[in-house]
Amino acid sequence: MDKHTAVPQSHWNPYLAGTALGLTLVLSYAVLGAGLGASGGLARASAALSCAIAPDHTRMSEYFGGWGGQPLRYYLVFMLLGVLGGGAVSAVTSDRFRLALERGGACSARKRFIFALLGGVMVGFSSRLAQGCTSGQALSGGALLLTGSMVFVCAVFAGGYAAAYFVRGQWHD
Amino acid sequence: MIDTFYGSDSLGTPAAFLAALGIGGLFGFILERAGFGSSRKLAGVFYFRDMTVVKVMFSAMIVAMLGMSMLVGLGILPGDHVFHLPTVLRAQVVGGLIFGVGFAMGAWCPGTAAAGLGAGRLDALVFLGGALLGGIFFNEAYPWLRGLAGSGSEPVRFVYESLGLPRGAFAFLFTLVAVGAFWLSEWVERRVSGTGEYWDSKFLKVFSIALASVAVGLFALPDPENGTAKEAPAEQVHEAALLETVESASDHIEPEELADRLIAGDASLRVVDIRPPEEFASSHIRGGVNIPMARLPEDLAAWKNKGIIVLYSNGMTHPAQARDSLQRLGFNNAYFLTDGLEGFSDRILTPVSLRHDPVSPAEARRISERRRFFMDPSPLPQAAAAVRNAPRVSVSGERLVDPAWLAGRLGRGDTKMLDLRPQPDYNSNHIPGSLALSVESLRGNRGGVGSMLLPAEDLARRLSALGIDPSAFVVLVYGDKAYDATLAALALERVGHQKFAVLLGGFPRWIKEGHPVDTRLPDVSPARYTASQEADGFTVDHRQVRGMLGRRGVVILDVRPKEYFDGRKSDEARSGHIPGAVNRPYTQDLAEAGGGKGFRPAAELAEEYEKLIPGKDAEVVVYCRTGHQASQAYFILKHVLGYTRVRWYDGGWSEWASRPELPVGK
Repeated sequence: MDKHTAVPQSHWNPYLAGTALGLTLVLSYAVLGAGLGASGGLARASAALSCAIAPDHTRMSEYFGGWGGQPLRYYLVFMLLGVLGGGAVSAVTSDRFRLALERGGACSARKRFIFALLGGVMVGFSSRLAQGCTSGQALSGGALLLTGSMVFVCAVFAGGYAAAYFVRGQWHD
Repeated sequence: MIDTFYGSDSLGTPAAFLAALGIGGLFGFILERAGFGSSRKLAGVFYFRDMTVVKVMFSAMIVAMLGMSMLVGLGILPGDHVFHLPTVLRAQVVGGLIFGVGFAMGAWCPGTAAAGLGAGRLDALVFLGGALLGGIFFNEAYPWLRGLAGSGSEPVRFVYESLGLPRGAFAFLFTLVAVGAFWLSEWVERRVSGTGEYWDSKFLKVFSIALASVAVGLFALPDPENGTAKEAPAEQVHEAALLETVESASDHIEPEELADRLIAGDASLRVVDIRPPEEFASSHIRGGVNIPMARLPEDLAAWKNKGIIVLYSNGMTHPAQARDSLQRLGFNNAYFLTDGLEGFSDRILTPVSLRHDPVSPAEARRISERRRFFMDPSPLPQAAAAVRNAPRVSVSGERLVDPAWLAGRLGRGDTKMLDLRPQPDYNSNHIPGSLALSVESLRGNRGGVGSMLLPAEDLARRLSALGIDPSAFVVLVYGDKAYDATLAALALERVGHQKFAVLLGGFPRWIKEGHPVDTRLPDVSPARYTASQEADGFTVDHRQVRGMLGRRGVVILDVRPKEYFDGRKSDEARSGHIPGAVNRPYTQDLAEAGGGKGFRPAAELAEEYEKLIPGKDAEVVVYCRTGHQASQAYFILKHVLGYTRVRWYDGGWSEWASRPELPVGK
């Protein structure tokens, strides 16, 4: 079958997908004793990158230094790799795998590239500050009814809706 | 009852890594199936065109909340086997706002971007690259953000407690809010983009009723939070608040709290050790006084309902009984130490590198501070002011452990003790479970130079044969030569081993304090040790040392006896020392203590080295004849005194003297 003409399957019912995600989170708590997390693994990769560029400086730094000489030996690093693999398996088996820079038809690749990069920088930075991202803090902490997680969810939506207007151009067709 | 990897302290093991990989796979698969492999779809939520994010996220949150409430409430999964993130409101508000802006801008979050990259989305790759940079920025800015980010030891807070609601009532309300959000999302989608296909559908009605029904069922469960409430580590609170905490904690005090109060010089505190005097004499909590149980009422009469009395013993039974007895005699201010002396030793004296769970830098600082204080053998200064005015010595001591601490860990399979004494000594008596190792088996001829520390691969093979893998806690035990332990420590550093420490005072102090010994040989099953290749950044060769000669700020320390340094004595091709080197014989760092030779008090050493080395980040090269004694200087400078750029010239004078092209000083 020619993959360019393959029609992507439709997405799962969002409520059932959410139910499956919730059960996965319960599984994670029951097996690992910790929730789902993505930014923790990313931060470990940041530390490894920093180690590769300036090993002495990184080892002496206060935050990354606390993770020792092998920051990648951490369960969330493996979880993040799992997410990448699981995403790939799902995309390929539902004919949604596509090498593309997603953007609106009227938006230049350069603009979308810059927005994605800057957004990434802000998310990478702030998820360290808040000790987690939408997975580890909002979803996993929220399910345990933690005050900080609930506050984080509200702050994320507040920040997102406040900024959305100014970056809407990237989705204009 | 389920025992989790977190609950059994094994999140850092390969089995946990494998489980995390599998769970991550499931997570990523579901994210992509939900449509979150597309940034356009994710961004939809911010323009009310596609509310999938709200639907999936809140369904997941409610389902997991109901699931966890049941597992914990029915006692299937104990609450303290689950990691709870602490609440640091300011960090979570500021972090959340910035995160939200980044989320709207990049249209990804970390988890969805990983799934999106799996689905081939290049903007996800760019976003993840940005997030890596963001992490690095955070690390660089951390010294300025510390106050905002919090110390990581803040308490765990539950939102229903914050709101003053019963847990079940909040869970039910939260479920209703989520169901409301689902219907609102469908309605919004219908209005804005003509979709909202589940609006008024039979499916959404059934789903809503199902969630609400399960939430009602939660009312039938007992309050599940009992096991988790005490998980919040002790925090530094103002005096008044602290007193209040102690008052309300009914009858016991946590080790961390006791430690912090002693460090703060709390004069209202009376710490009483109720063990027999000989046990007290061998080791006790710094600042504690010894009172036999029978004499408690009379000896503590002056403290009756004044200040706070904390009773402790090895375990908790006797102190608890003593406390009850005191209370019957009208003492309303007696408490006992949770987990006793053993718990105190385990929770306070375990170095950061030997702890299983990740420790935040701030927490690591606090642990180091507590260890520094409680491993200091000197008596406690009387007044709080004395503590504050005492010279502050920056001593880490991270790589040193107390015999009492080790005794509390015997029989735990994760702690491996390497006994470096001669074989006959080991055979006649050793710490139960310890393995004999000759440091000479870690050295050999390299490049023509004898007794050089072996390359990482060879060392890894030796560790494998000893049944040590990279996650093992290794404690090094020496006999009369502390530098045997420090050389073995260098071998561990060379292979990149993280968790190791030297036993303070070595085997002689172990014996003197009366800890158990054994003559049986332990069972060893070989492990597979893979050395990390880049770990050794500290060994220098003769070319590097030569390149450093005469460079400003570089200190070369020759730790051989003075007569060898001066050239009056020589066992080598030439006599003298490396030009510009300073002599500091290794013996000056040692003192007779606790039955054997041990390191001198860190504060004294710090003062003496301060005169030789211009600053903690100055470049220092240590050498002796073969590298053996220099390993001790290396260890003290780097791991006890906190010098950051210490190098070890393994070849030493033996090699230097035999190379005629190298200059010699006399």
